[in-house]
Amino acid sequence: MIASLARKAFRYEGFGYDVMSLLLQILVDALLLGGVYTLMAVGLSLAFGVTRIINFAHGEVLMFGAYAAFFAFAGLKLDPLLSLPFVAVLGAAGGYLLFKSSIERILDDAGINQVLLTFGIGLVLQNVAVILWTGDERSAIPSYAFDSWFLSDDVVVAKGRLIAFGIAAAFMLALLAWLRWSELGRATRAVSQNRAAASLMGINVHAIYALSFALSSAFGAATGAIMSFLLPITPFMGFPILVKAFAIIILGGLDSIIGTVLGAFFLAITETAIAYLVPDGIGWAEGVAFFLLVLMLIVRPTGILGSAERDA
Amino acid sequence: MNMSRSFSLLAGATLALTATVFSGLAPAQDTIRIGAPLSISGRFVAYGASAKRGVEMAVDVYGGKVGSKKIEVLFRDTQSDPQVTVNSFTQLLVEEKVNYLIGPIATPIAMAGLPAWRRTKALWIVPGASTPLLEEQAGKEPMLFHTFPYAYHYYVSLARTLRERLGPGKTLAILYSDDSYGREHLPYARKYFAQEGFKIVAEELVRAGATDLNPVLSKIRRVRADVLLGLVQTTDGIQLTKQVYVQRLNVPYLVGTAYPQLPQWQESTGEAQEGWMGVTTYLPAVKSKADPKYPKLFPDSEAWVADFKKRYNRAPDFIDVGAYVSTCMLLIAIENAGGVDNKETVAAELKKLDVKTMIGRGKFVPSIGGTLNQAFSDVIVHQRVKGTDAILFPTEFATTDKIEKATYAK
Repeated sequence: MIASLARKAFRYEGFGYDVMSLLLQILVDALLLGGVYTLMAVGLSLAFGVTRIINFAHGEVLMFGAYAAFFAFAGLKLDPLLSLPFVAVLGAAGGYLLFKSSIERILDDAGINQVLLTFGIGLVLQNVAVILWTGDERSAIPSYAFDSWFLSDDVVVAKGRLIAFGIAAAFMLALLAWLRWSELGRATRAVSQNRAAASLMGINVHAIYALSFALSSAFGAATGAIMSFLLPITPFMGFPILVKAFAIIILGGLDSIIGTVLGAFFLAITETAIAYLVPDGIGWAEGVAFFLLVLMLIVRPTGILGSAERDA
Repeated sequence: MNMSRSFSLLAGATLALTATVFSGLAPAQDTIRIGAPLSISGRFVAYGASAKRGVEMAVDVYGGKVGSKKIEVLFRDTQSDPQVTVNSFTQLLVEEKVNYLIGPIATPIAMAGLPAWRRTKALWIVPGASTPLLEEQAGKEPMLFHTFPYAYHYYVSLARTLRERLGPGKTLAILYSDDSYGREHLPYARKYFAQEGFKIVAEELVRAGATDLNPVLSKIRRVRADVLLGLVQTTDGIQLTKQVYVQRLNVPYLVGTAYPQLPQWQESTGEAQEGWMGVTTYLPAVKSKADPKYPKLFPDSEAWVADFKKRYNRAPDFIDVGAYVSTCMLLIAIENAGGVDNKETVAAELKKLDVKTMIGRGKFVPSIGGTLNQAFSDVIVHQRVKGTDAILFPTEFATTDKIEKATYAK
């Protein structure tokens, strides 16, 4: 079946292809893209899981992280991987300030107010970036962004994406470990599961909210540092990333970190397979992925792991 | 009491209205007003910002006056949004009643303004809109003056240059974006490359803004083409260039459209830019001499670049210079028409103009696609070699006769 699909997708005459190589390349690309998607979505998922607010400014936090890493690279010759911790700390500080100055005030408001506020903050941040840095595209260019390994003549592994995959894996392990074994992490999970009960247990719910928002923004900014060498940086890069991240956390289950990872890889595998195996598939990939999202909302509205997490 | 109050109100309103009318008329009589709907924010902000600089500099170099009349440019931000563009055009043409328009640059924004423009058909200078949609819908309009090459001009020059330098019988893979840019450029690329004897062995669509282009590059890798042509806009051009390099794509000759000339593309692609070819209307490497009749407006290119850098602390790009030259031509035509605010008289003067500018000869002639008033059809074909531009076409400016392969393909 794969061979038949590939024959149609690779429709040009006069060249041969090896199905095993093709499958391997699809697998490699899907895994690496899944790493990128995980990075995009995990911060959003964390903030929502705890505060139940979807931060529509998350894409702009990521965009600011990308600019910070870019300017550190261009001005101080600091590799984006080295500037990443500083960018994450700045992101955390920014997220904390954002929460305390605005979001904390609308925690109990209607959902539409929360959407409007965070969406508005995103627009303001986007326009500030245009004023400060113009709409010109930028990109950090460390040497590894141009490197690759060839597993065979036809199978390529991009080093930059592999690094992003590794960092995504490290972030996820660190986050899960923190949630499971640290006191603050357990408090965060408690607030996520039942705000009232957590409060009765003496947990400072607002402090946990602020911490989650700060961590979420730290993840967003750190992801921006990675994106600084993977994608062109512009003031408008945040919104498409937000849309994709939003789709991922719905697929995975809005309140589940593991579900977010599964959603990211599910989307990446679907998109990559369609892009490879359907003629002009790269144009279809996103549409089909979002069709699957709609299907998921109809068949299993809680996402892949949403309800399972709540049961646990 | 009531009557007296009503009378006072009426008298006050009449006075205010009279004052408003006369305050509106007074400057109109000694001012030439030019509407400039530009994308000063939104996704085309880079175009709009450049065009605004070019227009402002032209007015300043001209001295701020045409004869005794002050030049007033009414900038309106289209926000890169079609709906806002309609409002901007309507406001300038119907409320402000301007007779002259310059801008916008991006095709979708120019096309959005077209229906509103048809209401008054002011003299409209468009120093952009390379996609020939504008030509198809309004090229025959006598008040439209297009001062930027159309897409087909790109491919006429590119295909001819590549055939002359590489020889006949080469194969071509085309990668095009699913936005209006890629789809509109594709038929012209096909037509003119086929005319020059290229065999098109692959045509691959990519989504604008795609994160991962590897699937299409993998397909192109398997057809082993001689030339890759990327019909995408700058943001996708950066992504394409980096991923082609990461894949070490087995295509030796790499061709873009307008993006390889842009500093932001060059700074974002690092070593991956080596070997990429592109087209442009302006390159600092092309040296032009001053116009003998208007040396202050069109000095030699080095002097103009120095003046620009002094003002804006950056090198000019092709839109800066295009908007500057277009505005200067409009101002000369207004002056030659006696400083009148009359679009027909000024249009007649604009058609008579023949100036030597930093982007070539400025003379309006019919285009090969049917635009009545087209200036600046010649494009420069260049290649990025060791971080600078080697010029391949036109031959009188050529700095090399050899096309380099992509560095990893050597």
